[in-house]
Amino acid sequence: MKYAKVYAEDVQVGSEMPPLVKPPIQQIQLTRYAGASGDFNPIHQDAAFAKAAGMGDVFAHGMLSMGFVAQSVTDWFGAGTVRRLGVRFAALVRLGDVVTCRGKVVAKRPGKDGDGPYLVDLELWAENQKGEKVITGKATAALISRG
Amino acid sequence: MPIQINTSVKGKEYPPYRVSVERGKIKEFARAIGDLSPMYLDDTVAKAGPWGDIIAPPTFPITFRDEGADTGALLRDLGVDIGRILHGEQEFEHFKPVRPGQTYLCRGRIVDIYEKAGKSGPMAFVVRETTVTDSDNDIVALMRQTTVVRL
Repeated sequence: MKYAKVYAEDVQVGSEMPPLVKPPIQQIQLTRYAGASGDFNPIHQDAAFAKAAGMGDVFAHGMLSMGFVAQSVTDWFGAGTVRRLGVRFAALVRLGDVVTCRGKVVAKRPGKDGDGPYLVDLELWAENQKGEKVITGKATAALISRG
Repeated sequence: MPIQINTSVKGKEYPPYRVSVERGKIKEFARAIGDLSPMYLDDTVAKAGPWGDIIAPPTFPITFRDEGADTGALLRDLGVDIGRILHGEQEFEHFKPVRPGQTYLCRGRIVDIYEKAGKSGPMAFVVRETTVTDSDNDIVALMRQTTVVRL
């Protein structure tokens, strides 16, 4: 079965990713992500620990926000299309923050040997409700041709 | 006074370890992120998809850790407390989908350590690279993780 959400022909340089707006960060999500990922750093769970470490309060795992960014790409292009994803964690995501993931196509090129899927390079970022960038990054996705 | 980190661990290779991917862990991970793609969660829908089964989300390999090793090994090697570290950068390269029921071999090493003055004081950057290979010895994923230590 052919499965694709978006084909190579559907995007061009400059195409904008549909923004992905995630629900406000809640402590329960950080606890759930800790369990799912195995990252039990108390700085994401224990306000007293985070305060003593000089961080003021708990904050979200960077990897949770990166998971949102990955989702923004796969919501657009489909699961299994991501070939490369790299991010820099630019600011902390706090409880109550609403993270919005955005991006745009910066390049599109034929795959290796000219017959593989097209490779689409994206510039990505995630911002909080104040418009501050919490993540900046890049991705490469493989999109098949409609033909 | 800034703390000193042990930069001599640059180049250190950690013992290879195997990870078996459980179907339920993929789903738990996707749900924790709030990514409800049927390709991660729905066995029936995914069975009819291009991989014949569910696959893992792109950031799932971050869960691949050596369960047999002391979880504090890296921090102890560096000589830093967990409260001082932040995740600075993360990169994944994907070559094959990560699938349930598969066992993967992970090899991690510290590729770089450098210090820089940050906005809030001196910081050290520790770059770790982990390669993930499958039972065919094909490379499945490569992860590059930069940990920031507030000195």
